[in-house]
Amino acid sequence: MADTPTNPLLTMLDESKLIICIGSGGVGKTTTAAALGLLASLRGRNTLVLTIDPARRLLQALGLHGRDLPSNTPLEVFPRMLDALDHPEPGPFDRGAANAGSLHAMMLDPAAGASLMVERLLPDDAMREQVLGNRIYNALLPALSASPDLVALELIADLHREGRFDLIVLDTPPAHNTMDFLQAGQTFSSFINERALKWFAKVPRKDAAEKRSIFRRGSSVAMSVLGKLFGAEILPDIAEFFDSFRDVMPLMRERNEQTDALMRSDVTRFVAVTAPGGTSLREAYHLRDLLRKESLPFAGFVVNRVLQAPDGLGDEGRLQALSEDLSRRLTSTGVPADQAASLVARVHEGARQLRFLDRADRRQVAELSALAGANAFCAVVPQMEHDIHVLDELRDLATQLVGGLQD
Amino acid sequence: MRHLLDRHILLVTGKGGVGKSTVAVTLARRASRDGKKVLLIEFESVSRAAPLFGLEEAPTEAVQIEPGLDLMGFDLLHSLHFFAVDQLKLKSLVKLALRNDSVRGFFLAMPAIKSILFLYHLYRLETAHGPDGDGRWDLIVCDMPTSGFVAGLYGVPAMVGQIFRVGPLAKTAEGMGKLLFDPLITGIVLVTLPEEMPVVETIELRNALRKKHGIDTAAIVVNGVYPTLLEPAEIAALGEAVGDGESPGSTDVHGLLWAAEVLRGRSDRAARLLPALRSAVNGRVIELPHLFKRQLPIGAIDELAAVVKTALKGT
Repeated sequence: MADTPTNPLLTMLDESKLIICIGSGGVGKTTTAAALGLLASLRGRNTLVLTIDPARRLLQALGLHGRDLPSNTPLEVFPRMLDALDHPEPGPFDRGAANAGSLHAMMLDPAAGASLMVERLLPDDAMREQVLGNRIYNALLPALSASPDLVALELIADLHREGRFDLIVLDTPPAHNTMDFLQAGQTFSSFINERALKWFAKVPRKDAAEKRSIFRRGSSVAMSVLGKLFGAEILPDIAEFFDSFRDVMPLMRERNEQTDALMRSDVTRFVAVTAPGGTSLREAYHLRDLLRKESLPFAGFVVNRVLQAPDGLGDEGRLQALSEDLSRRLTSTGVPADQAASLVARVHEGARQLRFLDRADRRQVAELSALAGANAFCAVVPQMEHDIHVLDELRDLATQLVGGLQD
Repeated sequence: MRHLLDRHILLVTGKGGVGKSTVAVTLARRASRDGKKVLLIEFESVSRAAPLFGLEEAPTEAVQIEPGLDLMGFDLLHSLHFFAVDQLKLKSLVKLALRNDSVRGFFLAMPAIKSILFLYHLYRLETAHGPDGDGRWDLIVCDMPTSGFVAGLYGVPAMVGQIFRVGPLAKTAEGMGKLLFDPLITGIVLVTLPEEMPVVETIELRNALRKKHGIDTAAIVVNGVYPTLLEPAEIAALGEAVGDGESPGSTDVHGLLWAAEVLRGRSDRAARLLPALRSAVNGRVIELPHLFKRQLPIGAIDELAAVVKTALKGT
């Protein structure tokens, strides 16, 4: 492989242990994560690509249709990379199939992961039964599927600790505020915080008589507010739920701290994935500021779906000249003049429209590149005219990604 | 389809990056131009609609941005406050309680709190009355997050009902459920692009909503449909005229061939994918043209609103 040792993208693939792809939905995050994972594997690393999305998108990106990806268990997607690639020989930025590391994929199932977490956190059988049987816990469980952040962070920290993979590439959930994701641990801790535990400690348990009497006496403002908001009926259930977590809070907090430390460590890199469009620049600024503010290690931008029109299209005058040229060529191949004129007019208009998009994209890439500055990269990936169906296409994409670095 | 804008609530959703906000603004403007009192609610904190109307961000309370059209941005803390005042009736007590970091933190960190408070707020807005005693709005268009969140929203009434089995919140949960599940009141609009993965996922979502919650998708809006500019024979003629790029001067004119092929490929792809969408929702599909802009000004929204009018008339 003929790579430049200073290419920051390759350095990231070779040296980091956790790459977190962030960005708003629909910008090609999953495909980017899969491409980075594949390239790292072809450079010799044992890599895991982890998605929280329905895994079909990741499987499709990896060229695996119709296979089931088990949740919360890494699956080796290409036990024999040699068979998976049509072109197994080394590529411009990789060592080829013969020297590849492994490539695993995994889908996260937040609800199943939550139960797993409870089991791990609550070693005591009775206590575990209490949580798993608690009505509040079970009512909230489906909500976890919509907000898988906490479970995702926990699982990543676990996988990292296990050390089975050299590199984990995470495709973060769509539709999610990046901040929500990064702060999931803290958020959970503030839900089950000491103060809340204290409030609920005062609530009589289910077996106690005169459940409501305590509110009449008014134990605290907070309790009376909660009682009024939720109805005193439910407080014992909530109290029981909080009870179960009382003893494990220190352990949970410790794990949160570890996860947080991993996010900030020098083996972790954040890649902001974006695409041309009105709001994505705003989003890119937002992400960079966010990472900076939180002192999280920002590696660079990947700009997907850039139109990349041929340079020759030039300005309006040039386009006019090209159209006239095309018109002459058409008539000289025997196309009647009126047909040629109609055809050229439509092609001209189409080219003009695409040039608008191309201009906008170039401006945006230039701005992102400036935003990335000297310490981060800005890689541009051209728009593909169809979905990726086979592994070789994903590898081509990864090659374009690494080769598409802006100065 | 004629009834799409005659519903009371439209939840506009779809996978990321398909132009949900554009569609939400377009539908809201269409309805308000047709004489309805419309409220547009944006769920995400970064407003897409506000800049179109010269505002920096969406206000947390409904504010008129042009005749017949109000705008509001969902704000978690504001909605929590709104909910608490509703339940406790005492503003001073709510202020006192929510000023406390632990109390506020506890509420804001509750699982599913966003869905619960959004639905609660929507429920209260929908049942709000204007000065004349009628509903304050004829139509509330909600620019929602991606489809996963909306599917989750349909689980909220049952979840709240399961937690609060009796009392005022159990009643509210019942009311919210009635609102969401009545097809005459609430309609789901799925937005997609004419590309493979978004189309497949849209059809899957439509099926999942039906299977899991018994909800029929009100309409599918396909954003950014490329017009058919060229016939295959014309592409062939162009190829022949431009040649293989070997002859002098032909490199630049290849740019035109590139443009023709890109456009042809994209309009072909749209034509190939649209029938499956149409059959998934019995033809209730609105196709919006690609406008060749990365950022749509308000004039472009009007262009799209005109297309919606024609589409709604045609069915």
